[in-house]
Amino acid sequence: MSKMARIRKEKKTPWQKFCAWVNGDAAEQMLLPAQPPKESKKKAAKAKREKTTSNHRKDMGLGQFDHIYRICAVLIGIAIVSVLMAVVLKLPLFGSPDNPSVNEVVERYVEKGLEETGAVNMVAGMILDYRAFDTFGESSVLFLAVTCVTMLLMRDRNNTDKKEDMLTAQEHVIEGYEEDIILTKISRLIIPCALVYGIYVVLNGHLSPGGGFSGGTIMGSALILFAVSYGMIRMSRFFTYATFRKVTSSALMVYAASKAYSFFTGANHLESHIPLGTPGAILSSGLILVLDICVGIVVACTMYGFYALFTKGEL
Amino acid sequence: MRLVLELILPILLIVCALAVTFSKRLLVSVVIYTSFSLIMSVIWVLLESPDLAITEAAVGAGVSGLLLIYTLKKIHALKGTSDE
Amino acid sequence: MENVRIVIGLVLIALGMFVYLTATFGLFRFHYVLNRMHAAALGDTLGILFVLLGLMVLVGWNFHTLRLGLIICFLWLASPVSSHLLAKAEFVTFKHIKTECEVVEK
Repeated sequence: MSKMARIRKEKKTPWQKFCAWVNGDAAEQMLLPAQPPKESKKKAAKAKREKTTSNHRKDMGLGQFDHIYRICAVLIGIAIVSVLMAVVLKLPLFGSPDNPSVNEVVERYVEKGLEETGAVNMVAGMILDYRAFDTFGESSVLFLAVTCVTMLLMRDRNNTDKKEDMLTAQEHVIEGYEEDIILTKISRLIIPCALVYGIYVVLNGHLSPGGGFSGGTIMGSALILFAVSYGMIRMSRFFTYATFRKVTSSALMVYAASKAYSFFTGANHLESHIPLGTPGAILSSGLILVLDICVGIVVACTMYGFYALFTKGEL
Repeated sequence: MRLVLELILPILLIVCALAVTFSKRLLVSVVIYTSFSLIMSVIWVLLESPDLAITEAAVGAGVSGLLLIYTLKKIHALKGTSDE
Repeated sequence: MENVRIVIGLVLIALGMFVYLTATFGLFRFHYVLNRMHAAALGDTLGILFVLLGLMVLVGWNFHTLRLGLIICFLWLASPVSSHLLAKAEFVTFKHIKTECEVVEK
């Protein structure tokens, strides 16, 4: 209360205002209504009831706009849906040969894809050879997302208080004692199978449906199952924040380096010394296997990182 | 057979999308959203892109539902997880 | 011989569908969580077993049969465990559990 009053009294420069806004003081001031003075018990109770029943919009002086807002929302929704429906009715049939999307790019992919990339699975050849730069952006986005979640939810000295520390300690104690015996026995059976299946999907990305993203998600789910059944303490014996950082960034760097090599040789009309191999074999199709493994590692670590940060706030 | 599936699945998709917006409780919305992803993955199989179907089933139906539920727990929007 | 196989497969799938129907009916008809879970778990195990057995008979003896068998193995391992965990969560969090069912104290 006193802090807020102090902020309101001071005449601030825009820079100070901006700092306050970044630190969250301005938002607090705007969203939360000023506390009602404690006059009598009845009035306080009534004010509290009003505060809980009415939403925050009313307190910000937007009460009369509520109806207009809803009507506008419905109208705009109907307009957007009708425009989309009209567009969908004009679309050509799915899969017909005279679509505008069937042009020389698609012909090139379908006709020369096998001999140029060496991948039997055309989709892997497309996303990891012709459009590998695009996929690099996607895995960087995943890395960025997990970085943002780390910034928001990572637990350290600045964003925890004593109560939360106590709760975490309690949870650790409970975790140490209680392991559900049915879950642990069954997950001991399932986790290796899931990991092997994920590795199979990653390694066979250029031969069968699958690849880095799906296989990485399966491996990440296996890691999450391990963390659920055995607890974070057992998990942190082989997967800590340092491991996560090293593994993810080195996988991204290997991706960037190998793609940079092929871009360099391609742009300078040099011959790439990576053999394409016979189509259909595991060790074939040049760099696609390496890129698939890198993407799979990044995705698996990201999935587990999301889970760990959301549940415990630590990796 | 295939035509029937291609008719039924988008209708189910629309029903799910409406139910997500109109359900009162957030947890119910999350559960319906995961079923939306599951139907979507079957549609990807029908459109002959199994790569996307695997990823959609794993990410949309599995991990994102998990993350949404944990978010609900974190902001104390679930019943029985309040601070008091 | 071919016709017999198809008929057996279809009958098995129809049996599985019947189990699923009863499971869904029970899921909506019962009121307490553990009862509903019992109904749902029935469909998860027995229903899926009949449907996948029917598919195995329909496909015939080749590599797909083995894959379907693996799916049965995985589902029979995974879904009872998840039901067990849900029931445990209900047991831990529901305060008035003694009014709904008998609780054996250890």
